[in-house]
Amino acid sequence: MRYLKLYSIILCITGSLSANALPVPEKPAPDFTGITTAGETISLAGLRGKNVVLEWTNHECPYVKKHYNTGNMQRTQSELTKEGVVWISIISSAEGLQGYVSAEKADELTASRGSYTDYVVLDPTGKIGKMYNARTTPQMFLINKEGNLEYMGAIDDKPSARATTIDGARNHLLEAWKEIQSGKPVTMRSTKPYGCSVKYSD
Amino acid sequence: MKYIGFFLYLLITMISYPLSATTALLKGELSHSSYQVYLEHNKLEPGQTNWLAVRLEPKAGWHTYWKNPGDSGAAPYFIWAGAEGITVGNPLYALPEPLPVGPLMNYGYHAGSTLLFPLVIEEAYSSLETASLNVEAEWLVCDIECVPQTDTWQLTLPVSNETITSNNTLIFSQARTQLAEPSYWDSNITISNSDSELLIFADKLDVPSIQSAYFFPEADGVLTYSDDQQWEWDTFGLKLKFARSEGMLSPETTRGLLKLAFDDGTTQSYELEPNLTLNVRESMLDPVPLSMPIWQAAIFALIGGLILNLMPCVFPVLSLKAFALISANYKSQRSRRNEGWAYTFGIWVSFMAIVGVLVALKAGGAAIGWGFQLQEPLFIGFLILLMVLVSLSLAGVFYLNTGVEGAGQSFTLKEGASGSFAKGVLATLVATPCTAPFMAPAIGYALTQPLLVILFIFSMLAFGLALPFLALSYSDTLARLMPRPGAWMEKVKQGLAFPMLLTAAWLLYVYDLQAGSQAALFMVVSAITLSFGVWLYQQTSHVVGRGIAIVALIAAIILAVSVSKTMPNTEGSVTNEGQLNYSQIALESELSSGRAVFAYFTAEWCITCKVNEQVALFTDEVQTFMADNDIKVMKGDWTNRNAEIAQILSKYGRAGVPLYLYFPAGSKTPKVLPEVLTKDIVIEYLSNNS
Repeated sequence: MRYLKLYSIILCITGSLSANALPVPEKPAPDFTGITTAGETISLAGLRGKNVVLEWTNHECPYVKKHYNTGNMQRTQSELTKEGVVWISIISSAEGLQGYVSAEKADELTASRGSYTDYVVLDPTGKIGKMYNARTTPQMFLINKEGNLEYMGAIDDKPSARATTIDGARNHLLEAWKEIQSGKPVTMRSTKPYGCSVKYSD
Repeated sequence: MKYIGFFLYLLITMISYPLSATTALLKGELSHSSYQVYLEHNKLEPGQTNWLAVRLEPKAGWHTYWKNPGDSGAAPYFIWAGAEGITVGNPLYALPEPLPVGPLMNYGYHAGSTLLFPLVIEEAYSSLETASLNVEAEWLVCDIECVPQTDTWQLTLPVSNETITSNNTLIFSQARTQLAEPSYWDSNITISNSDSELLIFADKLDVPSIQSAYFFPEADGVLTYSDDQQWEWDTFGLKLKFARSEGMLSPETTRGLLKLAFDDGTTQSYELEPNLTLNVRESMLDPVPLSMPIWQAAIFALIGGLILNLMPCVFPVLSLKAFALISANYKSQRSRRNEGWAYTFGIWVSFMAIVGVLVALKAGGAAIGWGFQLQEPLFIGFLILLMVLVSLSLAGVFYLNTGVEGAGQSFTLKEGASGSFAKGVLATLVATPCTAPFMAPAIGYALTQPLLVILFIFSMLAFGLALPFLALSYSDTLARLMPRPGAWMEKVKQGLAFPMLLTAAWLLYVYDLQAGSQAALFMVVSAITLSFGVWLYQQTSHVVGRGIAIVALIAAIILAVSVSKTMPNTEGSVTNEGQLNYSQIALESELSSGRAVFAYFTAEWCITCKVNEQVALFTDEVQTFMADNDIKVMKGDWTNRNAEIAQILSKYGRAGVPLYLYFPAGSKTPKVLPEVLTKDIVIEYLSNNS
């Protein structure tokens, strides 16, 4: 009985620790719960068994625009979602700041840009963003079926806002996905993200 | 004095700036910033470095970025084209300022900055009048929101061999005052999961009255940009402490700029490239599952102990035992069986003693494993002396008395139970440098278990080692087959002295690597003195003679004990060409570069290791195969104690050497090779995975 108590205390401590832990490649990705533009509540735990991509975005950020205006982001989305990957776009801009949108506006953006995203999650409090230490838009996370983080960081290796830099860039997310599919370990698991800062309220 | 000069200089440049006499190569105004491009000298001189300045000035309230923009943002981005024969180097950046943006931190410039690009033009241009350069320029300007500024520049650069005049000097000298100074201090940075620490070996007298210190790292992964930086003086120098979070990148470089602010209001900045110690994560290597049920470990230990009889270590002692066996003809069945059990008991007691010490030391926090006693020069020294005495005793120089059985009986050749017991002890002592197949996983498993399981598994190992002779001692048929005792026995016994001496020679080699050649010489002196003491003691019963003998014995022992110390910073043995010495950082950096790595863990006292190296690893065939397949070879030498090696051994379920790991290209999950290697085995393992 005494041990049971001790055990549950240890469990609580480790449980709270893991809740605070930032994402680490090859380790379980932080579990989050978010509300989609459709009003649906989704959680990472609920998507266990599926590969998941998290994309931090802000439609007014020039770097995000580069990837959407050139169709690069949509191509990447289509490439992964047709293989059954669940794509979640997350907007962590606080109300009143750049990139903050209502659910309707977000859906309109998805439609007008031809995005293949499965869900758009609105995170105006920045709770999910801070849980993942999301710093820039765009910033990408790839989580495997077991819920472990396979890749985090920039979408590619060209930290530029210019459309001409899409050609010849190494799409880190796509490369990681290809490696996973061919059963190889991911060679680049973490890169420095580039782009606009995530517009947190504080 | 230095600062006064600097001040004067600053004053002059401030008065004379902006200069009307400067001629910009190009200038322009974009939506949120303006730019100017200058050449330091009016003309490019072929073969020489000329500097090109790009001045970027954002609108009031906006900022531009340093080469590491911090949490977000982007460094200025230039693509130089159409400039065959002109080499444009990486720009020099002015010292940035920390620019907080909400919870994030950026590094940049709120009042503009000048980037200095080195330009080298080839000799081939000397016949031309101009060289042209196309630049795709992009720099990001942010306040909270960000606006990339992009422009395409066509630069026409005048070329000349003539003496070069300039009127842009001040722009450049002013830009250079904004650069950090090269620093003459050594520095170390230790990066751990949740913090990092920068230690600058500066003297407090050199840089007194520091008010604040701040470090701008060039690469991601060194520190959390937005957290406060702490600094203090400690014994070795100036120490800065940073927060960091797990899961960050391993930094590509440790370079960065240190900014010091002094009590008098001045500041000074320095370039640093600290040596890196990475304590990040437990390890990025994937473990190999290694749990096994206890019965399997017990069977492995038994088989391992049996095979140990065939390993080269135990040969000299086994030959003694074999000798005792062939002289079994004249013994009674009962005494043969008693001897068999005494031998077994001797092995068992020795194993328990070694394991007991090992467990106690481990509990005390020592990072050691199986074979730990061989990492202790004092123990090796003791074995050398023992081997020399035993062989001289065999050769008939003197007879060793145990003092237990009465005079006249030799220690190791003594018939009877206590002689067999002694042989068991000796067999165990010399067996520990060897690892047999099956034995390594069993020991590796045992040492992670509770004490009772450890003792059980090692008892099985001891029993396995003793089993062949124990079984033979029960065979009457075998005893009858043995020749009759006679004078030949004395000759054979003398002959057995030589393999024992060879064992001593090998131990001396190990001792030399551990304690140094001087200590090895003293050890030989000690062995000779000791033998002399024993011999003299037995030659005379006179009080003076015995006195001298006792003095010699004591002197020999004091000498042996006093020189048997591990040399500081011993490298163990020399690493072959093209090999790397093992360290976790070195291994991880090779693995992250995607190369295939073969890591072998060895020790000079490990005979199994040495045999494997000679018959398999160092053969031309294997070496060529590794070179052809671009496999990086890494050596971990465990001759002396090494916590890092003990750590990786235990990660792969081993308590000792040898351990062979092969990481196929791009993989962090190694293949664990068997303990006994042949060329074919090595090549098979290495090719199946590449």
